[in-house]
Amino acid sequence: MPKAMIANTIRRLRFEHGEMTQQELATRVGCTRQTIIVLEKERYVPSLSLAFRIARVFDRPIEDIFDLVEEPERRQVT
Amino acid sequence: MAAWIIIASLIAVLFIGATARTLARSRPDPDLGKLPATPLERLGWIGLGIAAALGLSLAVLVALGGAEGFFDDSPYRLVFWLLLMTGITAWFAAWYATKRRFGGVVIDERDRAVLARSLSVESMGVLLSLVVWTISLTEAFTEDGAVPLGYVQLVFWSTLIVGAFGRSVGVVLGYRRGIAVDA
Repeated sequence: MPKAMIANTIRRLRFEHGEMTQQELATRVGCTRQTIIVLEKERYVPSLSLAFRIARVFDRPIEDIFDLVEEPERRQVT
Repeated sequence: MAAWIIIASLIAVLFIGATARTLARSRPDPDLGKLPATPLERLGWIGLGIAAALGLSLAVLVALGGAEGFFDDSPYRLVFWLLLMTGITAWFAAWYATKRRFGGVVIDERDRAVLARSLSVESMGVLLSLVVWTISLTEAFTEDGAVPLGYVQLVFWSTLIVGAFGRSVGVVLGYRRGIAVDA
């Protein structure tokens, strides 16, 4: 099975939501700022509950924010 | 008997040396760049320092006072207790200061994943420590048929220190190497 990653659009959504800071998002979803940083860099796969909390903050369906991407396609995802 | 203490000390020094080398050689994940340390990572470094200082102090005190007489009413035992209490108090003070400084969330799901993985380093250290003690004490006291009580205390405290040291190393390594990112 090829390696897969969870790509996300958190950084873009933060800026679309009044340039929300990483710390503000972290506080609202109940994690540390460092976790938001690694999430944005796609170096960490969040738990389902954290993913849902993030989706709730941005008022979007979870699949609009997170997407399963096969490793070779990863660079094409923005 | 002195030979076994020397061998055990050498193995302990080797373990600390190998740990230091692993820490020095572990490169932070390049994709993460210079990530600010999480509260738990800071506590990991502080724990590492305290455990190393306590371990070193215990080794020096035992070398000065002798292992068998160490837990009689000797000033060495009092010094060790004071150091131990200072170490534990310092760690809790650091925890409290971290909590005040960062406020809100101090440990989240990613930190918990790092903590869970650090258990393997702690277990390895504790097992290694017990293996060294068991072989050393068996070889040293086979003819006597009994191990002096002081050694039992020493086994307990050294294992506790090795456990804290191993857990701290596991935490620090966990952040440096990053945790599983595959979906």
